[in-house]
Amino acid sequence: MRRTMTTRPQSVCTKAFGLAVLVLLMTAGASLILGAGPVPIADALAALGGGGSEEARFVLVELRLPRLAVGITTGLALGVAGALLQALTRNPLAEPGLLGVSAGSAFAVSLAIMLGASTVTLTTLVAQGGALAGCSFVIAAARMKGLGNDPIRLVLAGATLSGLLLALTSLLMLADQRAADEIRFWVTGSIAGRQWPQLLAALPTLLLGGVIVVAVAQPLASLTLGERVAVGLGQHPGRVRLLVVLAVALLVGAATALAGPLVFVGMVVPFLARALAGADIRKTLWLCLPVGPAVLVLADTVSRLVAAPSELPLGVVTALIGAPVLLAIVRARRMPTL
Amino acid sequence: MTLYEGALDTAIATGAEPVGAVITRGGTSVASYIQPLADDIEIVGAPGETNLEAVLASQPDIILAPGWTSPQQYRLLSLIAPTVAPDVPPYQSDSWIRETRIFARALGREAQGEAAIDKVQRRIAEVAKLVAANVPEGQRDAAIVRWMPQGALVMSPGIFSATLLAAVGFDVSDAGLVNAGRPHSHPLSEENLSAIDQSWLFLATLNKDGKEALDAASRSPAFRRLQAVENGQVVAVDGQEWTSASGPLVAGQILDAVAAAVSGRKP
Repeated sequence: MRRTMTTRPQSVCTKAFGLAVLVLLMTAGASLILGAGPVPIADALAALGGGGSEEARFVLVELRLPRLAVGITTGLALGVAGALLQALTRNPLAEPGLLGVSAGSAFAVSLAIMLGASTVTLTTLVAQGGALAGCSFVIAAARMKGLGNDPIRLVLAGATLSGLLLALTSLLMLADQRAADEIRFWVTGSIAGRQWPQLLAALPTLLLGGVIVVAVAQPLASLTLGERVAVGLGQHPGRVRLLVVLAVALLVGAATALAGPLVFVGMVVPFLARALAGADIRKTLWLCLPVGPAVLVLADTVSRLVAAPSELPLGVVTALIGAPVLLAIVRARRMPTL
Repeated sequence: MTLYEGALDTAIATGAEPVGAVITRGGTSVASYIQPLADDIEIVGAPGETNLEAVLASQPDIILAPGWTSPQQYRLLSLIAPTVAPDVPPYQSDSWIRETRIFARALGREAQGEAAIDKVQRRIAEVAKLVAANVPEGQRDAAIVRWMPQGALVMSPGIFSATLLAAVGFDVSDAGLVNAGRPHSHPLSEENLSAIDQSWLFLATLNKDGKEALDAASRSPAFRRLQAVENGQVVAVDGQEWTSASGPLVAGQILDAVAAAVSGRKP
């Protein structure tokens, strides 16, 4: 168990990164070739090479390609946000979906939908505002004596917040039946039918989040050594925490605007990344870049294969994948504070 | 007291005065087409979720319930007032006629019930002539779709509005997507929209305004490729009327919409 918590030699990390990129390429390929529709695999392969039937080219270029791009972006954002939250709360179970960050984001979006919001740009900003509120709660809870030191109690507090926010979202649905369908769709999480405009609307703030992550990775790594050490190394813990919270809110908000509140992705991805690269947050973040998209794109491909000609909501699949991982982490007692 | 949209429609069509009703699916009150006729009616629940205390409080003489009322619910309702739940196989072309007769008889208004059915039959004959004159044979294939955020629901050819479409000469198809005994399919993956590629597409949401559904659908690239879209034969319809209601009154509304669509007028 300790093995995964130690830093590994650089060559191992490079290999792990290469492996993760390879897996991502394979899942991306699969998501273009496989779908709920009537396009045969051979036809889809031909379309990938520029040939194939007109129908296959349409499905690949107009439906599956934007969806893949959205899936990659969402997975990347949730994976990185999960790793940041886990490092910040020193809790391997922390993740935006469990701690109420995504739920806060979804609640804000639901409220906006009910009030008549329609533009995709607005939705992204609203979702990020909600995520920021949820994130602030998590940090406040994590810094509370007793609560923050115990990973499971922090997760329970987060689950309570998530439950409360989801109940409030249900209340909104009862109040406005018209918006209910749209909100219900949101709350389950899906990237079906997502198109380029939604992705473009989320990109600027995502990039901003990315820049903050790059700037904050080194100080955050020092902070995980303990507050005193960090101060000794010339860091300002308060400032670092604030920036991390901001980055998480930007990333999770954008991801929720694109796909709804997806649970467990932010936990599974850093878990896999740490298993591959060790506990150093900088390496975890690197590994999250290919692992996050691979996990999400894989889940999305499964979501459209199991229930064809309809689709399973992506949120259901990520929960099905994530719940056993959560149990495994808790049962294997991989519960050291990070 | 009516606990079913078809019962409310029939009761009002035969001149009875219902004291209570359930909301239309996805709405906050009874369907808009019937609102002017059911002024100030008391709402006693949603489809399948009756507030028994509200039913009791309004002291009805008779309760008209849907055919799918459970035995337990039926027993409870019967304790309040004589309850009629028509045992008619759903999603058949004559389901509505048989239901209308049962409800009319329960209300002691058989003659009015028959008159209402006759009126619909005459209107069907008129619209059928319009269809025959305006829509070339071989181009009468159609599908009814409810556009939802999570995907298109293909409605069963057995739902009320579909049986009316068939009665006036359309060939309504569900492309084999709807399981027997179900009102509609699961939300269809966007990749499978081509399965409903018919000459005519009647497009609804649960909202009153079918136009909203059309706007939402138009943003989908898969939708824009359908031949009904290319031929300008997508008809935006009221989901409350087309995918939820049944009865002689709504039949008139639905048939008017079809007549307007095939004669190229705005409904």
